[in-house]
Amino acid sequence: MGVDLIFKIAAIGILVAILHTLLDQSGRKEIALMTSIIGLVVVLAVVAREIFKLFESIKTMFQF
Amino acid sequence: MLLKIIGSILIISASGFIGFLYSKDCSARPQQLREIQSMLQMLENEISFLSTPLSEAFERIYKSSNNSISAIFKSAHEYLIDNLNYNASEAWALAVRDNIKKTSLKEEDEEILVSFGKILGSSDVEGQIGNIRLTVNQLKMQEHKAEEIRKKNENMYRTLGVLGGIAIVILLL
Repeated sequence: MGVDLIFKIAAIGILVAILHTLLDQSGRKEIALMTSIIGLVVVLAVVAREIFKLFESIKTMFQF
Repeated sequence: MLLKIIGSILIISASGFIGFLYSKDCSARPQQLREIQSMLQMLENEISFLSTPLSEAFERIYKSSNNSISAIFKSAHEYLIDNLNYNASEAWALAVRDNIKKTSLKEEDEEILVSFGKILGSSDVEGQIGNIRLTVNQLKMQEHKAEEIRKKNENMYRTLGVLGGIAIVILLL
């Protein structure tokens, strides 16, 4: 699960980088920015569950 | 696993195909603008040298070539022949509005064509020829613009299609 997730996020990162340069070159700066933001949001959505798990484990750590 | 690979190949090829269609649409517009210019040139010849009535001129023009633009001339001819209630400019406007969806032309091109029709059949030969030349010049400007847009977009759409497909596959995996 863990390694898969990292690879997925890395792939999305590469893809968004390529899309950004592509759209930037064809003179659509706004859309390039939008794709970057959408990439960020998607990655956050993917990672959200893991972050939630991290907080849960921290909570259990401090509960005596 | 095999199913996943087949599915991802299908998704990538489908979105790549969509991108390809869009890029083809980009290159179709300047082409069609050129075609309609040459057809209007033909109409100018019909009017100035042969003085043919408009319905006959339309018929000859659409018979001389076979592309999606000639459908406009065809339906304008049909409107003029079948319904005696329409005058030339109404028939032309109706024909343009009916057929513009089947072509790759944009609304600005449609406006130029419709405003060309407004003077059609309402002045002497000189006025008609002036009107046609004006329209051809406007279309030429549109063609230059469309050509620039094509250069900018053609590659982008193609790459965007494939990359979008890859993005969907990564998200679904």
